[in-house]
Amino acid sequence: MSFRAFLAICLCRFLRGFSRLVHRGGTAMPGRWALKVCPDLLSVLARGVKTVAITGTNGKTTTARMIDQGFEDAGLSYFANRSGANLMSGITTEFVMNSTLFGKCKKEYAVIECDEAAAVGVFPQLMPELVVVTNLFRDQLDRYGEVTHTLENIRKALAGISQPIEVLLNADCSLTASLAEDTYHSYLFFGIDKGAVPSGKKSELSDASHCIRCKTEYEYDYITYGHLGGFRCPKCGYHRAEKPEYAVTDVTEQRPDGSTVVIGGVLMEPCVVDVNLPALYNVYNAVGAVAAMREMGIPDETAIAALGKFKCGFGRMEDFALGKGGAKVMLVKNPAGCNQVLDFLQNVKDRFVLVICLNDRAADGTDISWIWDADFEKLCELSGRLEKVIVSGDRAPDMAVRIKYAGVDPRFVETERDYEKLVSSLESEERPIYMIPTYTALLELREVLVKHCGGDEFWV
Amino acid sequence: MELKICHLYPDVLNLYGDGGNIRCLTQRLKWRGIGAEVTKIPIGSKESLKGFDLIFIGGGQDFEQEVLLEDLHRGRDKELVAAVQDGMTILAICGGYQMLGAYYETHDGKRCDFVGALDLYTVGAKTRMIGNYMYKVDEKLGGFTVVGFENHSGKTRLGPGVEPLGKVLAGFGNNGEDGMEGAHFQNVFGTYSHGPLLPKNPDFADLLIKTALERKYGRAELAPLDDTLERAAHDEMCRRLEKHP
Repeated sequence: MSFRAFLAICLCRFLRGFSRLVHRGGTAMPGRWALKVCPDLLSVLARGVKTVAITGTNGKTTTARMIDQGFEDAGLSYFANRSGANLMSGITTEFVMNSTLFGKCKKEYAVIECDEAAAVGVFPQLMPELVVVTNLFRDQLDRYGEVTHTLENIRKALAGISQPIEVLLNADCSLTASLAEDTYHSYLFFGIDKGAVPSGKKSELSDASHCIRCKTEYEYDYITYGHLGGFRCPKCGYHRAEKPEYAVTDVTEQRPDGSTVVIGGVLMEPCVVDVNLPALYNVYNAVGAVAAMREMGIPDETAIAALGKFKCGFGRMEDFALGKGGAKVMLVKNPAGCNQVLDFLQNVKDRFVLVICLNDRAADGTDISWIWDADFEKLCELSGRLEKVIVSGDRAPDMAVRIKYAGVDPRFVETERDYEKLVSSLESEERPIYMIPTYTALLELREVLVKHCGGDEFWV
Repeated sequence: MELKICHLYPDVLNLYGDGGNIRCLTQRLKWRGIGAEVTKIPIGSKESLKGFDLIFIGGGQDFEQEVLLEDLHRGRDKELVAAVQDGMTILAICGGYQMLGAYYETHDGKRCDFVGALDLYTVGAKTRMIGNYMYKVDEKLGGFTVVGFENHSGKTRLGPGVEPLGKVLAGFGNNGEDGMEGAHFQNVFGTYSHGPLLPKNPDFADLLIKTALERKYGRAELAPLDDTLERAAHDEMCRRLEKHP
């Protein structure tokens, strides 16, 4: 190891220690400085570590937490970037904190979620043994550009891994599945089979309506949500993998607190699996995670049990003891994810209060146009179960307008931009509360919730 | 009274929140007791544009541009030129705005012929112009302030045959150089303000509704609506942009 790398590690550890002294996370900043001293620090530290990397638009954190639980239960020596710091800087910090001063990693395995735009820089240094690509949706156009641009970034990121590895792809996402055109790595598919859930309607706002190869409009045998499902190009024949290696063959039950599904496929005997989180998008995360755990050699029973007990926390259907009915916090970042949350709300039985916190800082995307692509009109189909909507965050007034035009009577819409006041006022709330913040709004809101109701700091 | 609204190419020109404009027009018509019928005309449709009162064209991704151009040059382009000459009320945003011009030239010199309904053209630049922005619409059109979000690499230049829609107060506008934003010709309004432009610019929404109603019925007085929430969103962005232009 070079002297530069040694210096960088010392600096990183010092900055992290200092951050914690002043009660900050220090999840990304120390790594950022360390990389200035030694730009290839990650490649030094990641050498010899067996890493699973998870990337894609939605579901990275949840999939990583599921795999995390499986690794823990299997008794493996591993670490994970649980704080959500998933850029080069945050991943480097995490490796430094799990290495000796001389750059030798103390753990055998790592579970790393990686931002889909950062992957192109991270993967060639990280050299993962297994990559999971969850899906690709339009997301933060001002930051990522068109979705095909993100796809090309991931393609380059995979091409930058200089040894052949295994890559798990979402079979139902025509964009993600197209990564398998490459022949250097081995590609395996996971997905939800036809008939496992009633087919959804073809969305007018598909993020991938035209064939990625020949630009003809896709036909679909079935749709799970968004552009995911049994796609087929009538012209060039590009189609969803007929028999994914890992597939959900049946969604037996969807409850407000989770789902029961059957996971099978070419490589797996069908198993009944309880997933600890509700909503269909978490079924995708579950089958992706099972595939990853199996490919890393974790026994079936351990992998399956992990899905029923893992805790995601940090704004992914996270519960807080607020008010009489409790509060559930559901992070939203883009129309696809937001629509899934709005679908989930359709299944809530009781009258409830909805809180929407919309920010437009760099990490949220500075363009909030996407709230008009999300189907807030669904709030009008709740037939009286919506007690009121409270809008908050930097762009609260824009959210109020969105809700008004969705058809909700403005008399049921309140604005409260101070999280302290918001949470205090909800302490006496009788009804269950559902909170949907964007990323930076979640960071601030969660801090106040933790103060009032208890819970972990985000880096724990 | 009723307006027949056409959403042109919603299958490919739907980049970010463009549907919000249709939603806004139909709600504001409904709240005033005026009928609204929205027809979507996707790629490959043979339906004529005649008979509509208002056409909306959104912005799109580069990925589907070829598919769009093919369809356009199968006759839709001539139909759009005729509609513009005929005084049809049209709102065209970002990619849709560029599309009504003569052509688009990429930064490495490749040229795509567009509709040619408006005397303007666009040349691609290497850097994108991205961010919240604000402009003041020409006095003849009401002189109101519009806030929106722009995200384009194309720089649009206007010919003598069209007027700019307004003057940039903060941000880039047509090209980031001449201080002009959008284009106005007959009853066509072109702007870079992508996505949900109308909901928080109710003056603009009502200008379009009034223009379309007057063309159809001779005259139109719009009943006032309670725009408290809309103006709050509009004014807050104005204040932010005044502070940090």
